[in-house]
Amino acid sequence: MRCIRCKAPANVEVRRHRSAFCAACYPGWFRNQVERTIADEGMFNRDQRVLVAISGGKDSLALWHALLELGYSADGMYIRLGIGNYSQHSQAAAEHFAGKRGLRLHQVDLKEEYGFVVPQLRNQREGKPCAACGTVKRYHFNKVAVDLGYDVVATGHNLVDEAATLFGNVIHWQTDFLGRQGPVLESTHPKLARKVKPLYRLAERDTAAYAVIERIEYILEECPMAVGAKSLEYKDALNALEERQPGLKHRFLVGFLRNGRQAIRSAAPVEIRECRECGQPTTGEVCSYCRMRERKRRQLEARKAAAG
Amino acid sequence: MKVTILPARELREVDAGDVGQLLKALNFHQDAYLVIRSDEILTRDVRLKSTDAVEVWPVISGGCR
Repeated sequence: MRCIRCKAPANVEVRRHRSAFCAACYPGWFRNQVERTIADEGMFNRDQRVLVAISGGKDSLALWHALLELGYSADGMYIRLGIGNYSQHSQAAAEHFAGKRGLRLHQVDLKEEYGFVVPQLRNQREGKPCAACGTVKRYHFNKVAVDLGYDVVATGHNLVDEAATLFGNVIHWQTDFLGRQGPVLESTHPKLARKVKPLYRLAERDTAAYAVIERIEYILEECPMAVGAKSLEYKDALNALEERQPGLKHRFLVGFLRNGRQAIRSAAPVEIRECRECGQPTTGEVCSYCRMRERKRRQLEARKAAAG
Repeated sequence: MKVTILPARELREVDAGDVGQLLKALNFHQDAYLVIRSDEILTRDVRLKSTDAVEVWPVISGGCR
């Protein structure tokens, strides 16, 4: 296989584009894809300040790297979730990336600042804290972005993440979520930051290849809380289909965004108000983050009382 | 050839003529892994020798993103 640009032996094949690139040409192609996505979706410009949500994994670090190479003003933010060795390793990867390049990395420590860690948020039915972890991340990334005056929060969600989310939402017919899914989530309240996903047209394999070629040291291990997560099952199913039908995930996601989403979007606008407890934006009286913390506090009190 | 599967660095001995066959022998999807030899990513058509040592890197992450 040869690089479609320079005809040197290829290193990375992008089957859905019927393309392949050598290690020298690949980063340019990758960044060009990111740049085109940002422009096509009107995500942000070079005068705006971007806060990149950093996990220490390949996607978030590849995104931060690509944005800086493209000349955008991007700082990072990492949340110390308290998931044992996994969190220690991911924090080290995030700090190493930022320290080596002299970048600003904001951090929130859940244990120190809020008195809990993510493993305590396990759902009693499923035994997993993934949904609660998502609430925690969305809450803090939004809060820091708004408090510090960033124009936009950028996350490393890639094509496979988005296709798997769409797949799950279709299987369960989560029409509310389907109507909101997309690469840009506009701000509908002064305390709600605009959110964008500049990697949504790039596959997980593409971002991993970029990280390897650019020698980005990312955490390779999987979050131990995610073992057996439905999102991984959906990705496996989609990758099995993609094996025989290259481009299937791309067609599924982009087709939905172009043709399906409009049909599902609710006509009634969602009213955003401020949470009675913390003042952050929410659709209810109390935001999901405060409800979750209150539930956990009651559970702990009940356990203490039962223990005598 | 010697195959090291990350992140646990599990060691396997696999007979395969090229990268595509290697992933098939491991029952791995092409989109879910990178195959790397001497710091270089290999495309699925690259021929492999029995004396080669390659690493297989997973690219899938899950749970809450």
